[in-house]
Amino acid sequence: MKKDILAVFGIILILAVLINGTHIQSVDEYYLTHIDDITPESETVTLSIRCDTVLQHYEDLDPALRSEEFVPPDGVILPPTEYVLREGDTVFDILDRAVRYNKIQMEFQGAAKSPFGSVYMQGIHYLYEFSCGPLSGWMYRVDGEFPHYGCSRYELHDGQNIEWIYTCDLGQDIGAPWMGGQGK
Amino acid sequence: MKAFANMHPAVSMLYFLSVLLVCMFIPHPVLQAEALLGGALFCAALQKRGAALRDLGFYLPLFLMVAVVNPLFSHNGVTPLFFLNENPVTLEALLYGVSLAVMVIGVLLWCKAYNEIMTSDKFLYLFGKLIPKLSLVLSMALRFIPTYLRQSRRVSRAQKAMGLYAGKSITDRVKNRMRVLAAMISWSLENAMETSASMKARGYGKKGRTNFSLFRFRASDGVLLAICICLLAVPLIGAAVGITDFMYYPRVGVIQTTPAAIAVYAAFGTLSVLPFILEVKEAIVWNYSVSKI
Repeated sequence: MKKDILAVFGIILILAVLINGTHIQSVDEYYLTHIDDITPESETVTLSIRCDTVLQHYEDLDPALRSEEFVPPDGVILPPTEYVLREGDTVFDILDRAVRYNKIQMEFQGAAKSPFGSVYMQGIHYLYEFSCGPLSGWMYRVDGEFPHYGCSRYELHDGQNIEWIYTCDLGQDIGAPWMGGQGK
Repeated sequence: MKAFANMHPAVSMLYFLSVLLVCMFIPHPVLQAEALLGGALFCAALQKRGAALRDLGFYLPLFLMVAVVNPLFSHNGVTPLFFLNENPVTLEALLYGVSLAVMVIGVLLWCKAYNEIMTSDKFLYLFGKLIPKLSLVLSMALRFIPTYLRQSRRVSRAQKAMGLYAGKSITDRVKNRMRVLAAMISWSLENAMETSASMKARGYGKKGRTNFSLFRFRASDGVLLAICICLLAVPLIGAAVGITDFMYYPRVGVIQTTPAAIAVYAAFGTLSVLPFILEVKEAIVWNYSVSKI
């Protein structure tokens, strides 16, 4: 019986660690109803989310997503909008706040799970990696340049312009030069 | 009580393959539910009542596990229920998990029924001449788990008889299992070698060797074969023209109720409960004959 008590204790310990590591939020808690107001002295950045490339490769798109609800006819999921930049904000923080405020679905792989030590964006607005052909997925661009590292490691400065763009061809169709595109 | 087991092996083989094919490769909720229902009824008819109940203790936790694990890893879907570590847990992912669980358990039940009906001698009768080596390996692989369980129960009983880990504590029992597992690994390797050596010594695969059991293709086998092929063709055609296409992400699709779709569901439903009907019919005929004596 002594051994059993020890085993039960061990299981409780594992469960406690698991529960401690999970953070549960209700839907209302997750979505933001209010976002920092832009005042004259606040630093801001511009964010937009687009998927125009999907419209050019519509035949590759997952049949379940072929509707205007999931792929807007103009390819704009979030038009360029200004958001307040908080101290030390990364591209991921801004995107996270924006999608919560606009109730846009998003799935990502946390920095701890990724081999690059950064958040990996799996899907935004039901459009996932590989949803539109084997070379498709989300990429981001800051001031017209594709950074060489993950979105949660890119710290932003005042006035920068962030674009999240869906690619159907590993970046070539949206002009990522290090993927063989032509640049801007 | 084994009407289906008396059928010609070619017919039962084709039957199992067709049900498993549809169940595994056409992911439609109605077809999966029908496969699960048919498999459960058939297994219940083949087994004693106690064994069927004991199986429930295995399949129910498995069902819950498969159903719950999917929404933890897949966050697609338009209906978030709550957010776990900043990622949504959605209704769609949960439903997809349930459908996966239904499929997994349906396939497991059909494989269990397969093991009861398609004994090694039947399998070797069908494929022994055609592909001797592969069919021996396959038949050994297919009967591996039942044999393994039987032997592990034997080893476990022997260990208890020797007084090892006979205590009631759970830790002891887990330790006993681990010890049995270690013994079983070497036993299963050795057993596979011995089986093949023994088969070789008996001239397996040589010309002119007859089979252990012989089967005749009777008229009733032909009828059942024809019914199976007709009933299988309907869902296959349905899948080819897209009637059975079903989406879970990002929004759960609609189950079609057009006459063509209902014909597909009805055909596969009949196909999956066919052995159960045969068993029940056999039992009724048997009881009737007994009552007349």
